Amino acid sequence: MDIFLQLTLSGLSQGAIFALIALSLTVVYRATTIVNFGHGDFVMAGAFFVYVLVIYVELPYVFAAISAVLIMLGMGLGVSRGFIDPIKAGPHIGFAMMSISLGYVLRGGARFLWGREVFPMPRVFDIEPFFIGNLVVTGDVLFISAIVAVFLLIFFFIFYRTTTGVIIQAVYQSERGATLIGVNVRAFHQSMWGVGLAMGALAGILIAPISLLHPDLGATFLIRGFAAMTLGGFGSLGGAVVGGLLLGVAEQLFGFYINSSLQDITAYLIIVAVLVIRPAGLFGRTVTVRV
Amino acid sequence: MKSFLIKCMFGAMALGVLLIGNTVKAEDWETTGLTDKAIKVGVMGPFTGNASSYSKTQIGLMAYFKHINDQGGIHGRKFEMFPEDTACAPAKGIAAAKKLVHQDKVFYLHGNSCSAVAMAVKPTVSPTGIPWIIAHAVNPKITMPVNEKKSIYHGVPAGPAYGSTMGEFVMSKPGAKRIAMITHTNDWAKAYCDPAIKVIKATGGEIVLEQALERGQTDATAQVLKLKGAKPDFILGCLYEAETVIFLRDAKKYGLRIPVMGTAGTDLENTLERLGDKDAVKDYYVLHAFVDKVDGPKMKKWNDIILKYNPDETITGFSAVSMASGVAAVKALQNVGPDLTRSKFIAELDKIKGLSTGILACDITWSATDRHGCKKSAVAGFVDGNPTVLSSWGKPW
Repeated sequence: MDIFLQLTLSGLSQGAIFALIALSLTVVYRATTIVNFGHGDFVMAGAFFVYVLVIYVELPYVFAAISAVLIMLGMGLGVSRGFIDPIKAGPHIGFAMMSISLGYVLRGGARFLWGREVFPMPRVFDIEPFFIGNLVVTGDVLFISAIVAVFLLIFFFIFYRTTTGVIIQAVYQSERGATLIGVNVRAFHQSMWGVGLAMGALAGILIAPISLLHPDLGATFLIRGFAAMTLGGFGSLGGAVVGGLLLGVAEQLFGFYINSSLQDITAYLIIVAVLVIRPAGLFGRTVTVRV
Repeated sequence: MKSFLIKCMFGAMALGVLLIGNTVKAEDWETTGLTDKAIKVGVMGPFTGNASSYSKTQIGLMAYFKHINDQGGIHGRKFEMFPEDTACAPAKGIAAAKKLVHQDKVFYLHGNSCSAVAMAVKPTVSPTGIPWIIAHAVNPKITMPVNEKKSIYHGVPAGPAYGSTMGEFVMSKPGAKRIAMITHTNDWAKAYCDPAIKVIKATGGEIVLEQALERGQTDATAQVLKLKGAKPDFILGCLYEAETVIFLRDAKKYGLRIPVMGTAGTDLENTLERLGDKDAVKDYYVLHAFVDKVDGPKMKKWNDIILKYNPDETITGFSAVSMASGVAAVKALQNVGPDLTRSKFIAELDKIKGLSTGILACDITWSATDRHGCKKSAVAGFVDGNPTVLSSWGKPW
């Protein structure tokens, strides 16, 4: 039982990161119907910005993290305005190609600047692990879980309890309707790209002290983000969070109780299984089209 | 009859021209890249790109050649180096090799980091018979079986040598019998772990548990808890540096205090720097190519040579690796004497036996049938809190 609880705790901590990434992918997807295949590299970029600001500019970590999130927010606005808007009239596949290309440009840039080196990311707090019975609770688990939980509370509060949230929901439901009531949909799309990339950056900043920092950091998380989205249901904000947490726990349990070789492919197995058994995921809506 | 004689005469002349031509061609081949004053050496390496940190080995090698030049060279000839960038990319490596062989017309090739590049370059270089000393890449297939022209040599430990050292070190711990593994599932990891397992089984050990930790995984909780349950005496860790750090961090977190033997893909100082926790790395042992710590007194001479010609260079675990095979090449060239040819150079390389370079933890021995010059490595670990080079468990090098 101790082992099961330990695996679950560790899985929830990892899952919190996956949840954040899945949620950031979903925010962009719900707003623009674009799946950002380069999102993993934006996650990596956020972490690298913190690294640069802490190591080279010598900013305190918290300021560096806030600055990096803001930089990524700006980058999201820029990506939407500079690279997505101009190809809006083209085929949808163009968005996928564009997002993949932008991701690889970022990854290539990081490789060019830092090579394939693996960097230790400065830690914010060095909290000693403590025990609850035989259960080991580490500072990383506490820190990540707390930050993600607070962030999700704020995010869902804004989404469901504020006027801004109501406007966002209105655009999600009908862009044409939102336009008619005076919402600037183009600016909305740009902001959602900004919010999506900023959230991705936050995930990168939280995980990099654990995973170490390197240019290929984001690739692993992208597929996990997709798996969490699939499990929770494409387009479902709450589903993305639940999907991420379940994926984190599933990876740990698969790795321990079945085979450690399966741990790395848990995300893929989940994608396949969900698409075959319940394509809408746990919280997705099945769309019925009358013809 | 007259026309028959004339035909015979022309035939004989043609044959003579052909024979002379071939002789000249063979002589040309033997001395291509040589003048009375210079020996042209092609030095391929990843001077740019994402593996450019490996090019420190080529910088070290060229510094050694410059050092030899400053001492008067070899029989009046000085090394003339032709560095060529491979960027650790096979296609670029092939282009570099073709340029060195056909355009720069070097006497021999020396260098090469990146096994994939060396394997891609091999079909281009091997048929030419130009001597080629591999000074960094570890894939054993680059040099064994011996190529058709018997011209390629390995001047660093290849995968099997490293793997065997891992197995020998693990089994040198008194009472070590139950060995567990945590490994990537790729060829790179197998190149280390398979020879290690062979040695472990041959010396009475058993593999009690195998755990996979793939590249990019950021948590090793499941693996660590499994390993803890298996109660092994030693753990083989065939992991890249990032995953090594993740594993050691989680091992400490969950109280897994069992010695871990790592590959040459990591080193002690960097692992400690990345973990930032001496306690987490105190049971970690790692392959170490050199006779001393990178900045140890036995390495000072070599580091000084590098810094003399490259004052801004930062010395790392890669810097002096290729200098050892440089020492071997210089010895062979000296032994040939002033009448240097490629065949004589190859013959002298094959005569190198038990050459202690003072750099690598192995002696270099080559023969016409065995081109894996280095058969072992040292191991580095923390002893009483200090990084120490070891030959076996608890025994300093």
